Amino acid sequence: MFLSVGDLAVPPTPEDEGRGTGNERGVADLACPVFRVPGPDDMSARGVARATPGMLGAVLLLALAVGLGLLAGGVRLSINDLVAGEGPSGEAARLVASLRAPRVFLAALVGGCLALAGTALQALLKNPLADPFLLGTSGGAAVGAALAAVAGLSPFVSPAAAFAGAVGSSLAVAALARRGGRLDLQRLLLAGLIANAFFSAVLLAVFSVASGQTARTMLFWMMGSLADATPGRVLALAPYAAAGLLVLLFFAARLNLFAVGEENAAALGVDVETSKRIVFLASSLLTGAAVAFAGIIGFVGLLVPHAARSVVGNDQRALLPVSAIAGAALLVAADTVSRSVFAPAELPVGAFTAAIGAPVFAWLLLRNA
Amino acid sequence: MAAPAERVSGRVEARGLRASYGTTRALEGLDAWIGRGELVALLGENGSGKSTFLKAIARIVLPDGGELFLDGKPLSTFTRRESARRIAYLPQSLDLVFPIRCIDLVLQGRAPHARGFSADSSADRDHAFEAMRACDVDALAERDAAALSGGEKRRVFLARALAQEAEIWLLDEPTSGLDPRHRLEFLELLGRAHAGRGTTVLLVTHEIDLAAEIANRVILLRAGRAVASGPPAETLTPDRLRETFGVESRIVTDLEGRRRIVPYAPSR
Repeated sequence: MFLSVGDLAVPPTPEDEGRGTGNERGVADLACPVFRVPGPDDMSARGVARATPGMLGAVLLLALAVGLGLLAGGVRLSINDLVAGEGPSGEAARLVASLRAPRVFLAALVGGCLALAGTALQALLKNPLADPFLLGTSGGAAVGAALAAVAGLSPFVSPAAAFAGAVGSSLAVAALARRGGRLDLQRLLLAGLIANAFFSAVLLAVFSVASGQTARTMLFWMMGSLADATPGRVLALAPYAAAGLLVLLFFAARLNLFAVGEENAAALGVDVETSKRIVFLASSLLTGAAVAFAGIIGFVGLLVPHAARSVVGNDQRALLPVSAIAGAALLVAADTVSRSVFAPAELPVGAFTAAIGAPVFAWLLLRNA
Repeated sequence: MAAPAERVSGRVEARGLRASYGTTRALEGLDAWIGRGELVALLGENGSGKSTFLKAIARIVLPDGGELFLDGKPLSTFTRRESARRIAYLPQSLDLVFPIRCIDLVLQGRAPHARGFSADSSADRDHAFEAMRACDVDALAERDAAALSGGEKRRVFLARALAQEAEIWLLDEPTSGLDPRHRLEFLELLGRAHAGRGTTVLLVTHEIDLAAEIANRVILLRAGRAVASGPPAETLTPDRLRETFGVESRIVTDLEGRRRIVPYAPSR
């Protein structure tokens, strides 16, 4: 029956399926036209095979960042004093380090949460621009936490309030971005922009009427800071981070199918709506928890997955854990720099990540244009 | 449209199928069936519901009325994973944003067979490599699929459908955008899979001559309904084409005695 196919004279007809269904555009729309992730052949070979060196590298970076984070700051410690120091100098060094430790570990957890949320959202939405900060999730979480604080609720409620704010913001942004039953990329980014503007306005309004300690707390949520770290806060954040990580790892293989397209995942047997909801909730939980304890810290969720992907490839089973560890390392390092350069004064770490994140992001855009 | 006896033999069957996107109706009570081992071409103008029909069978689009049957049982009674093991879908747009090795893309075809969708056991890899050899893309295994040409990419996706071991293939305009050589290579592969494995194929195309050449049967769609179905020679008449596509066409016989359909003007 196919013997005569070779004689067919019909030219190929590239065709758009136009009027009416509009569905053909749906998933393609989620693909960002300007920001295509580079995929040169050499990098394409980096699949699971490169996961182990990538993981080792990330762990090494994190160990370095933690070590530096304990030593550097307003008071510089020497590694000798800290590890083998005897007498007053050794004791003093260990005391300072033990005061710094909660801050370093809080930075690690917050960085890991944000990077995980960004990685999962990017795969889910098939969009390398997805990030809890740019999509307005962080802003919603900050408003939730700030309102709870202004209402005088206990600090232990703030993760729940931030989570509620993050989920509410995600739902609103998704509703704004929906067109013809599908999430549209341009609309998604615009909706994130609108949400961020709105949340900034709310935070500023509350800030302007707040007084004393409340105003300071508001500032903390707006700028992002790890200065209020305590061992209790580290312990309170850890279960959220662990829960988010476990849920996302459970969905990692499904996220691989989403990264090729939502329709792709559906056609291969994934219950798309349920998976989407769970991954969205897990990302919101991670974002909410991070914001509740550290305020709005941008660009970690955008840059870390990108960097990790260039090392281990896009297999989410490897990318999620490597991103988590690399995100932890990045935020520990960023916080160390932001409290060391102008010591005893401090830069808000959110301002610092934005200061390095924005140019890197711009460079990525230009390189991919 | 079809006699009840034929309906029972239908491997995939739609009865009164309705589907929409938001407020746009795409299928308005479609009745159609595809028999075991058939190669059926789905023809119709843009927006007539061809792609939506494929997506409904692939469970990408949820129908909002009517019913789909797989081997006589309602498709909704199969788990998504069960039906994904039996039905492979090749989308029209193969737009990849993230880098992915071709072998990993082909391995995704094994996902419905694997626990937790994590398919990379050595048996899965053997399946994937065998499928890639069959589609002559094994040399591309380590390459980034996002960087391939359109023809290569389609063959990789076809290899994935092979690796999926599905008995039914849904192909959405599989030859669109291919140059003549890649188009012919693709059709050769498709022919081998169809003839060699007895795969049931439902393909959407705008190439009337292609449908006439390779299909056992064609189904014509208009405004979300099937308006005709039958062997190409009997079904693709100038009157039907005017009704379906709004074009005037004539049938010519080429030098080798084959019947060709030449649309030459839009109907007034």
